[in-house]
Amino acid sequence: MTGNPARILVWDWAIRLIHWLMVILVPLLWWTAEEGHMEWHKSFGLTMFGLVLFRLLWGLIGTWTARFVPMVQRIGSLPSYLAELRAQGYHPTFGHSPLAVLSVFALLLALTIQITTGLFSVDVDGLESGPLSIMVSFETGRQFAEIHEFNFNLLAALIGLHIAAIAIYRFVVKEKLVGPMLSGRRPSKDFAGEQLPENRMRPIRMIAATIIALACTLALANFG
Amino acid sequence: MKPRKTQIMLPALAGLALLSGCGQNDETAPVSEAASIELPNGMTVKEQIEARQAQLKKIGKAFKTISDQLKAGTPDLAEIQAAAAIVPKETADMADWFPEGTGPDAGVKTEALPIIWESKTDFNDKVVALQEAAAKLETVAQGGDVTEIASAFKTTGGTCKACHDKYRLDD
Repeated sequence: MTGNPARILVWDWAIRLIHWLMVILVPLLWWTAEEGHMEWHKSFGLTMFGLVLFRLLWGLIGTWTARFVPMVQRIGSLPSYLAELRAQGYHPTFGHSPLAVLSVFALLLALTIQITTGLFSVDVDGLESGPLSIMVSFETGRQFAEIHEFNFNLLAALIGLHIAAIAIYRFVVKEKLVGPMLSGRRPSKDFAGEQLPENRMRPIRMIAATIIALACTLALANFG
Repeated sequence: MKPRKTQIMLPALAGLALLSGCGQNDETAPVSEAASIELPNGMTVKEQIEARQAQLKKIGKAFKTISDQLKAGTPDLAEIQAAAAIVPKETADMADWFPEGTGPDAGVKTEALPIIWESKTDFNDKVVALQEAAAKLETVAQGGDVTEIASAFKTTGGTCKACHDKYRLDD
């Protein structure tokens, strides 16, 4: 809890909530698409749209570990991070490791492509379609659906890689990454002697990001 | 630990996963002689398959038009009526689109399943169900009641699905 100085907040609650909701939603989205439950697929898809939009906004105005600029800056230290891993000199990173930054960007990009193409997709029978498909022709909508289908394979591969990486850290590097993603916290001693950036949750920014994401999601839901 | 090995393995795994993902869509059917066999109606097998695919695409387009208009706040009745008229017209001879020999064995890319020709009676019944539903949709569209159109459209879509679920390759 907040009163415990021995444990420091790495992942704020919004990041964690979004992450675990995505873990639930991706299989549901896959299953509803496979089984043809398109009304559910659209509802879950819109929910996912809201989550991804919030995450992208949170990457601009969120807590330090959520923000994209510090993440990009970390990519430069990828070679030294990998060298440390090789030399068995692993030590935890506050926030995303340089390798994790690449993974998160790839996952967010794949999710963004998946959602955007889904909005414009039309099924082969012209019976089911995304909320914005009214703006495109049948042929264009079909192309969006093809990308939607292909990109899901990319997304699934990236998720597989993500899970494999966590397993490798767990069993090879002996580092448990799932715990902090649940509690949000790590022992302060993990970062002993480091100058840590301020990672405080700012409620007004939180409310602003939520309102924007919610408003866009509702607008889409009402559009089609 | 052997991090060097893992670094090579991970992209390789991702690559494999990708390949297996795309593989399904990339089956290139060999050019077969069956494709150029002439059918009793004068078309080759290939021409027949492509002709019915073009017809089905016209219907898909018409359905999208109706679906778009029904989604819109103020549906354009003229557009719905025009699209609804396309469906009975273009499906009038649908039962003839699937002559013997135009299944997947022909070597032309088709999602028509062989079971069509094993249960032709049921298949043709389903075609008739579509034609009847489409005729009703056209009539209702002329009437102009949006709620009734939406209901008739749903029924028509259901007849498409009933057939596709059973007789079309699930991709």
